[in-house]
Amino acid sequence: MKTFWTLLNNFESYFCRILLAVFVSLLFVQIVSRELFDYSFSWIEELSVYMFVWFVFFGASYAAKKSAHNRVTFQFGMLPRSWVKWIEGFADLFWIFFNVYFVYLAYDFVFNRMNKFWKSQTLGIEMKWIYMVLPIAFALMTFRVLQVNYRVLVKGEDIHDPDKIDLDEVRQEMKQGHDDPGGRVG
Amino acid sequence: KEFKIAVGDGGGGTQEALGKAFISALEEKTNGEHTASLFLNGQLGSEQDTVNDAAIGTLDFSILAINNITPFSPSVGTLTLPYVILSLEDAEKVTQGPIGQELVENTVRDAGVRIIGWAYSGFRVLTNSAKPVETVEDLDGLVIRVPKNEIMIATYKSWGVNPTPMAWSETFAGLQQKVVDGQDNPYITVYAMKFDEVQKYVTNLRYLFSIEPLIVSEAVFQDMSEEEQQAVLAAGQEATEFSAQFLRDKEAEIKEELVSRGMEITDPANDEAEFISLATEAVWPQFYDSIGGVEKLNEVLTELGRDPVE
Amino acid sequence: MESVIVSILFGSFLGLLLLGAPITVALGVSSLVSFLYLGENPIKFVQIAFTSVGSFPLMALPAFILAGALMEAAGISKRLINVAESFAGPFTGGISAATVMACLFFGAISGSGPATTAAVGMLMIPAMIKRGYDRGYSSAVTASAGGLGIVIPPSIPMVIFGIAALGMSAPPEAVEKFGTFQSVSISKLFIAGFVPAFLIAGSLLVVNWFLCRKHGYTGSAEGWSARNILCELYRGFWSLMAPVVILGGIYTGFFTPTEAAIVAIFYTLFVGIVIYRELNFDSLNRSLETTTWLTGRVLLILFTATVFGRLLVENHIPALIADGMLSLTDNIYIIWALIIFFLLFVGMFMETLAAILILVPVMLPVAYSVGIDPIHFGVVMICTLGIGFQTPPLGENLFIASGISNISIENISIRALPFAAVNTIAIFVIAFFPQLSLWLPRLLGY
Ligand code: NA
Ligand code: NA
Repeated sequence: MKTFWTLLNNFESYFCRILLAVFVSLLFVQIVSRELFDYSFSWIEELSVYMFVWFVFFGASYAAKKSAHNRVTFQFGMLPRSWVKWIEGFADLFWIFFNVYFVYLAYDFVFNRMNKFWKSQTLGIEMKWIYMVLPIAFALMTFRVLQVNYRVLVKGEDIHDPDKIDLDEVRQEMKQGHDDPGGRVG
Repeated sequence: KEFKIAVGDGGGGTQEALGKAFISALEEKTNGEHTASLFLNGQLGSEQDTVNDAAIGTLDFSILAINNITPFSPSVGTLTLPYVILSLEDAEKVTQGPIGQELVENTVRDAGVRIIGWAYSGFRVLTNSAKPVETVEDLDGLVIRVPKNEIMIATYKSWGVNPTPMAWSETFAGLQQKVVDGQDNPYITVYAMKFDEVQKYVTNLRYLFSIEPLIVSEAVFQDMSEEEQQAVLAAGQEATEFSAQFLRDKEAEIKEELVSRGMEITDPANDEAEFISLATEAVWPQFYDSIGGVEKLNEVLTELGRDPVE
Repeated sequence: MESVIVSILFGSFLGLLLLGAPITVALGVSSLVSFLYLGENPIKFVQIAFTSVGSFPLMALPAFILAGALMEAAGISKRLINVAESFAGPFTGGISAATVMACLFFGAISGSGPATTAAVGMLMIPAMIKRGYDRGYSSAVTASAGGLGIVIPPSIPMVIFGIAALGMSAPPEAVEKFGTFQSVSISKLFIAGFVPAFLIAGSLLVVNWFLCRKHGYTGSAEGWSARNILCELYRGFWSLMAPVVILGGIYTGFFTPTEAAIVAIFYTLFVGIVIYRELNFDSLNRSLETTTWLTGRVLLILFTATVFGRLLVENHIPALIADGMLSLTDNIYIIWALIIFFLLFVGMFMETLAAILILVPVMLPVAYSVGIDPIHFGVVMICTLGIGFQTPPLGENLFIASGISNISIENISIRALPFAAVNTIAIFVIAFFPQLSLWLPRLLGY
């Protein structure tokens, strides 16, 4: 049960990793086939671009979950950390407002405004299905913003800043391997 | 009021010429009450985006290649099938005659935009850097760049070539670095993009005649008074006539200039018969469904005085 | 009308930034408010969200991020740095000079400044300290040279600049005055950055030499070992081929930048799994994960910055700014100085990619209107924002160097000042002599 929730809670992460691996591989197939066999698959570019768009917006939701979206913070240098998180929490209300409004716009666009004939050029998929990423991913992102603020403000958690490159991790990667002339690091 | 006109291409081409002609006609017909400004180079979004924006009413006008309307109003696709239009006169006849009127009505119904003018860019001629192309056989071994367009891809396939879809922004570099040997575009584009610097041979193919409609948002159009609507339609008509003349003058001039810069222009062998029969037999049937049936094609062919197909 | 919109748009944008809202939110909300004020239907946002992101050249961004992460995990980065280190030799400031060279080498496979600092610093800062260099100095030289990572191609900021500048044509008045401008492409930017990167690296090496002489940092007693160099070159062969594959592929026009990055990914997979055998499923998985959130974060800004830029264009605001600037002065050197100091200032506070996305729609039209070549402008912009990595309060390279050396950020940033100063001088040289950036692309026929 616990693993199920962990899986679900990292849904964007898994989904995006799969999308990324697939579109990168598709593009590689295209290059190899073009260079070696003089043959291009006409659908690869379009399919990979659409997968990329899904990857991006679900990735943005994942970034929200990791509290990774850049803010300008120098002005908070003098303030205690406990104040800053409430100020940022307040600023996030604008984010939620924007996202909710955007989800409404995207829903309206996809279901009511969008041209019913509009299909993708080479795959022939209705563009409606491809645009569905917008309402879904922004709704999910809104949930993530609420989730992060709940964790920070209510539960008092300190969310690790993903931009701080984890030096231990880099160190680990630099060290491993058999022909490293050890002892150079640290 | 100052309207906004989205233009897909950059300055100097057919689209801008049509836009300018439209604006001056509009100013004249409304005694300077209405004008418009052009936003070139896709500044207001890609050509397909502008159709959606106009349909929703967030954009007033747009000038774009016809194949970017087709996804929203399939019957327009008839004009984008290979070898339907065989001359500028054909193009004028279909766009300005009863067929054109029907397309306008279909587009209003299907896409929420009204076509009020047409720019004519001419046939997409084939250029390449490797060898003169006169017959279908000559295409063998050439790597040709095409836009991401099903009909164009299918046409090249019918000639036994597997073309390479490539983004427009990468095309010049691609030709220069010989990632691709050739491409097709109207003379005006070949000249404006300085393709003569990286291409030597031109073949006067006629498989696609580039048409670039001027559309108005139907929502914006319906908000206008009767007089304003008449003024807009008349300005569109005037701009269309201007565009045809612009093409006649410009194309002749450009051909001469390109030859003086060292390009070799070839006409397809046997009046293009082999190209035509391969393409029409293989490609047309693939797209009957998407243009709304073979009847649509036959209407156009009959209008042009050609034999309908089965 | 325009001035009201300008104050609403920029006022709410800056207000939200100061309130600590994410940059993307500040851009999106201020645009939304302006749309509503103008009485325009914001449903346009939906289509912009999709099409601003859905472009093939943009896929170079995740591809280069992923390639960089994989190269680290595969052991390619480490070997490149070892090669640079082996050249340190018995010179004054040899090992710190090798650090600068390592950043240049590493920059040729990585598109990121902080990643360059982390990878190089992790090996070179301890090595410098071991040879008796001051901790603060070691960190400062690494943090300063880390910025080379985005000047030497491949460069993620250049990808973003190219995307932002792609749809912006020169205003007709500028074309009339200065003739046609060349078009912007990511490949061209990649080639144009090559010479300036060496100029900046050279300027850092010069300061390094003077400072090391002052501090008495002489070379190692062991001397210069040809055997060691050959040995590292041999060990690093497959790693040294990585920049050859990436840059060679792009420079010969064999691949587009996106394709070069894709090829680099599979090259790294091959080297990491088959030859070095250091790449495992865990590190592959981690690289994919990092790429996910980094890309999502940047491109969400791309969406809102595009909306913001569209508002500016539709209201002719860049033209107004250009006119305002030209009414002050039309001396190109003064305008360059204003541009560079403004970018240095912005680079102190703002993340590089966000700064590019926000500033290109405003500044590129100004550049066009005074006849600046767009590729040249991009190179100067990226070089200048590269200094931002080493300036507080937001200096990513400082944070990393400080993490490695345990020296305070204040200390490092002060010791990095001489480097920032000559780097700025080098940027002025790059700005005043366009040929430094434009010569190589022309030579290669772009
Ligand atoms: Na780089
Ligand atoms: Na900074």
